[in-house]
Amino acid sequence: MEEAQAFRRLTVEFRQQDAKSRVLMTKHPIDGPTIEACQRGDSDAFRLVFEACKDRVYSIALCFFDGNEATAKDITQDVFLKLMITISQFQNRSEFSTWLYRLVTNACLDRKRSLRRFLFFSTTRELEFLDPRSSLEDKFIQRELESSVRKVIARMKPKLRITILLKYFDDLSYEEIAKVLGCSAGTVASRLNRAHRILARKLAHLRGALASGE
Amino acid sequence: MFGKHIIRHLSAYHDGQLSAAENLRIEAHLEQCGKCRGAYEEIRFGARLASSLLMSNAPDAAWRGVYQIPNATRRRWVPRAALAGILAVAVLFIVLLIETRRAGLPSWEVTGLPGTSRLRPGEVLQTDSSSEAQIKIANIGQLTIDPNTRIRLLVTQRDQHRIALDRGKVEATTWAPPRLFIVETPSATAIDLGCKYTLEVQDDGSSLLHVTLGLVALERGAGETIVPAGAFCRTRSGAGPGTPFFEDSSPQFQSALEQVDSLQEGSERSRQLGIVLREAHIRDGLSLWHLLPRLDDDSRGLIYDRLAQLLPPPPEVTREDIIRLDPKALDVWRKVVSQLWQ
Repeated sequence: MEEAQAFRRLTVEFRQQDAKSRVLMTKHPIDGPTIEACQRGDSDAFRLVFEACKDRVYSIALCFFDGNEATAKDITQDVFLKLMITISQFQNRSEFSTWLYRLVTNACLDRKRSLRRFLFFSTTRELEFLDPRSSLEDKFIQRELESSVRKVIARMKPKLRITILLKYFDDLSYEEIAKVLGCSAGTVASRLNRAHRILARKLAHLRGALASGE
Repeated sequence: MFGKHIIRHLSAYHDGQLSAAENLRIEAHLEQCGKCRGAYEEIRFGARLASSLLMSNAPDAAWRGVYQIPNATRRRWVPRAALAGILAVAVLFIVLLIETRRAGLPSWEVTGLPGTSRLRPGEVLQTDSSSEAQIKIANIGQLTIDPNTRIRLLVTQRDQHRIALDRGKVEATTWAPPRLFIVETPSATAIDLGCKYTLEVQDDGSSLLHVTLGLVALERGAGETIVPAGAFCRTRSGAGPGTPFFEDSSPQFQSALEQVDSLQEGSERSRQLGIVLREAHIRDGLSLWHLLPRLDDDSRGLIYDRLAQLLPPPPEVTREDIIRLDPKALDVWRKVVSQLWQ
């Protein structure tokens, strides 16, 4: 019984810690007047949309393609180009963010298909994870940790990959992710379950590093 | 609900996506189950790792790439201050106008098919047993044409892009808002509600739709059949869309459903309906929902009973309402059932 109580206490603490430590992005909702201005051809409004969303689009593409900056930049351009061309047809039947992330998802999956026959070269620095016992620099550890996480995510199946990126780069709810991906919230839950467990298993050796950082 | 192991719910629990009652049940189970506690610890650690992802700043070059797109596609975005720019756009516009008139009509770009580079309204594109083609659907998507396929471009304009698929198979991917891209087949009309699907038409005019992302609506007459990602729908010449079903439904369910769609009212159809109802799981609510208006009152009552077990209707919806297809009651229940495709 004591063990159960201790577990419950630990669970609450863990959840509080996670809530504090999670790197969540502040949402920048694009409101109706901004979209209407874009539809009228207001370049300032479109720039506003670009500035509000560009880093999230770029970050998702960057992680999806294992840190390949050139591809991520291309994807970002493609997404906003399509957005610019078709925004006049957007009829508010769905959330703007749902539409935007649908464009990002399609762009990533399409590009992945077209790259399938080519060898993939990353333009980013290849970082080897250092033994956490030999490093005390928090920033360095954080960078190494993120690099390791990104590598594991980049090797997941595309559907798992895009699901976990939508979750962690924009804190979308399961329902919102489901709308973007055209699947059920249950499917999203199942994919995230698998993705979390893959991460935990592939990076089990980092438990110590995270524990020491707490 | 959580008498068995709860591993599949643990990410949703961790991310606060469950109701308070479900959270309590999960916590109660975790206290007593070492296996699930271990799995939860793993998921919590995985989530912690994923939380280390950092946002990257998009390079400035990304905006320049967007802003420097051809003026033909963004003619509203002309910088007003630059007179030289305006003149350049004006010249470009005139050139484009001349080019467009010379070409006659708006057209779609075709690749992969020797001798065909554009497809214009009224024209036919046909592949043989050894050829296939890629087509850009204006600026809203992509179409892959399989071998032995014949399509006709009917309309391409700002608010509608429509083709006829006479035979063969196409794969459509779109990124436009819903209802802009439409495919007519001999037995039904497929209206894209977003994303990706394949559609195959046989020589007898029947077809098979498979949606892999988003939603597609099949129409014939006044009725509309919704086919979500992961689902198939057959159509038959002269009969229109059949009942959609998810690809993970049991083979017995699929086989009996096909019989229900094709048989006339009678004892054999009742027997097959019995198999459908017995084999139905929650996701098969998609099929049961679409069967409701298609069968007789007695069958509708049986379908109501099974569907209500799988996806209980709100209290104000009665069995009698559904049997007489009361529009208000159907609307209310639809909000529950449509969670299967939202």
